[in-house]
Amino acid sequence: MKKIDLHLHTKSSQYSDSAFVFSLPKLKEYVEKLSIDCIAVTNHNLFDLSQFNEISEELEITILPGIEINLEKGHLLLISENAELEDFESKCNQVESLITNESEFITVQKLKEIFIDLSRYLLIPHYEKTPIIRPEIIEQLKPHITSGEVTSAKKFKYCLKDSSSLVPVLFSDLRFTQHMTVFSPRQTFIDIDDTSLRAIKTCLMDKHKVFLHHSEGHRFFQVFENGQKLSTGLNVVLGERSSGKTYTLRTMAAMYDNVKHIKQFELLETDEEKDKKKFDELLTTKQSSVSEQFLKEFKEVVEDVVNIDRKENEKLIESFLSSLLKVAAEEEKKDVYSKCTLFNESKFIETSNDTLKQLVTATELLIDNTQYRTLIDSHISKKVLQELIVDLMKKYEEVQEKNLKVRWVNSLVINIQKELQSSTASEHIKDVDFYAILLEKEKLRKFENIATNIKSEKVIEKTDVRRFKIVASTRIFNGAQELLNKSGRRTTFSTAFNFYDSPIEYLDELKNIDRLAETEYYKYFVDVSYRILNEFDAEISGGERSEFNLLEKIQNAHHFDLLLVDEPESSFDNLFLKNEVNEQIRQISKTVPVIVVTHNNTVGASIKPDYILYTKKEIVSGKAVYKIFSGNPADPILKTVEGEEINNYNIMLNCLEAGDSAYTERKQSYDILKN
Amino acid sequence: MRQVIQHTQKESNHMIYLKIENGKGHFLNESDQWIEIDQIGKEDLLSLLDKAISDEFEMDEFDADSLQNKAHQIIYKHLYQKFNELNENKSRFKDESEQLYKSAIEKYTEAIQNESNS
Repeated sequence: MKKIDLHLHTKSSQYSDSAFVFSLPKLKEYVEKLSIDCIAVTNHNLFDLSQFNEISEELEITILPGIEINLEKGHLLLISENAELEDFESKCNQVESLITNESEFITVQKLKEIFIDLSRYLLIPHYEKTPIIRPEIIEQLKPHITSGEVTSAKKFKYCLKDSSSLVPVLFSDLRFTQHMTVFSPRQTFIDIDDTSLRAIKTCLMDKHKVFLHHSEGHRFFQVFENGQKLSTGLNVVLGERSSGKTYTLRTMAAMYDNVKHIKQFELLETDEEKDKKKFDELLTTKQSSVSEQFLKEFKEVVEDVVNIDRKENEKLIESFLSSLLKVAAEEEKKDVYSKCTLFNESKFIETSNDTLKQLVTATELLIDNTQYRTLIDSHISKKVLQELIVDLMKKYEEVQEKNLKVRWVNSLVINIQKELQSSTASEHIKDVDFYAILLEKEKLRKFENIATNIKSEKVIEKTDVRRFKIVASTRIFNGAQELLNKSGRRTTFSTAFNFYDSPIEYLDELKNIDRLAETEYYKYFVDVSYRILNEFDAEISGGERSEFNLLEKIQNAHHFDLLLVDEPESSFDNLFLKNEVNEQIRQISKTVPVIVVTHNNTVGASIKPDYILYTKKEIVSGKAVYKIFSGNPADPILKTVEGEEINNYNIMLNCLEAGDSAYTERKQSYDILKN
Repeated sequence: MRQVIQHTQKESNHMIYLKIENGKGHFLNESDQWIEIDQIGKEDLLSLLDKAISDEFEMDEFDADSLQNKAHQIIYKHLYQKFNELNENKSRFKDESEQLYKSAIEKYTEAIQNESNS
């Protein structure tokens, strides 16, 4: 088994890195401390041969020359055999000359032009790591790519399980400077005997040959540079007060970029009113999809009626009526022009064939559907459907043809009318599309009904979240201020709110408000509020709110690479911890490595951890030394990395039960009560 | 001069639909009666259009001098122009309306025939 780290930096490029001064002694210390067998030097878009030679002379392990290239908006590690270095350097120089700032990159084509035979190199794209090389680019580079770089043990495990993923590799991506204090434990173990590029390349074709730990496969990964390991599942950290538990947790958190750290007392309420407001806001944001879903159809209705100009329609009808009256009054005075039938002729209205189009689509679906073929065939034959669709399409053509003709006639009528009307002083009847006006009026009437109905306050959705229930209800706005809060804009709703009870007028007023987008009008008719109820359908208390928060945070940890929970018992009672928290933590630990620090026997013992760590502070020659003993929960002995041992049973009793005598005493008290 | 809109089908009727007589324009209505052109309405126009597409549609050439009635002049002029234009592409309504489903109708009609044969 060899431990490799094929992604590290020894020189900063002007644009890609925050500038740093490379420290060769630090690199040497890193390699020795973490017992690394092979590294690759991969600086951003450059390869410095003289520095590489210097490093090679100083270190006794395998050093491979490489480069991290900006390729098609992602990053690619390209690693070469430690041979023909001048040739490799000249190729890398071409890359360097092409990329002069962070946003520039080379294309796959260019990469092939520069490096010619890609099979000579090991290519590792950023895979579960930003900036990623997109899948289609990886596809273009196959078969030269078999492995991909990931950022955490969690992602490493995920890629191993997912059959379509590349072989995962975990590297440090460190920049070695004089002042660095800790080394990242991100390296990959591979099952090979020699560290030649050829052997590594072969190994990285097979998921069974890459590991997070030298002896424990993927069940463990190294967390500290001294070799301290952690389970990729559930770890519990025990220890007395001031023994370095929180310090240990913080150090772990600092090692990774994407860590969820639920700190001690974080969930305890300090200011109830403030916390409740914050909580309600959070809940509203989180649940906004419920509101969007509920208002979806209403939104469409509003969007449909928002452009209806009621006043304009009224004006049109008025002008029609007055022209009609005038024409009637002038009946006697008609001249050769106004006597023509076409002088006052109205226009044909085209027939909409949207319904026919929908019917064609629906019939087509019935004909083409394969999933429910047998069911459809058992009711109606394909032939009948085909005949139907042909008839529907012919009907469509017929309607369409009629419409085209009507359009033709209308244009003729309009032209004749214009000329006749301009030749006389006689009044003509204004042509008004009553159908369109009536349709719009009907739309407004429906909109008014819907808007009124939607405002009746009711529960629209209940969602069970563990023992809690999230209840979404509609509620009317009680004032202009609430509308303003909803909008989050600097404007005023006071005039509009006066019309809140008359939807049509209210919509008109909303249109007059500055900085209010038309697409948002629907939001100001009714609000959706959320409440959380407990299992007795009662509003939750402050304590229950904290419980809900904790469970939510644990669940959301799915998005993170590591979950750290610091003394959850500080905020919650044992029953909740045992029934809810333990279960959630165990569940999440199947996908994300979890570390729980605790003193509490409910958490510490009942949670059934995969691995136990015990922190201990000792004073050696007047100085505090922090030690970590670890092992499986069933091991009688826990050990430090250096091999120092401690009795597991004693630790359990001391940390979780306040010592043997307190435990025995408590047990006796319980027995007395029981009997 | 009498303008004839040619129709491809030989067996179709030769009919005159618009004529000028006694200084006035006239059109032939659905019931084959000659009506003065100032009485023409949109329904009449639609039926004339159908005739122009399917029959050989003849009409007297527009001549402002022979149309003393100014209103008749206006109407006749427009009808004449429009029906004359139509002559260039009589099948446009059919062609345009068949655009969307032409190939689909062919596909399904063929499928129906195949199924009937099998």
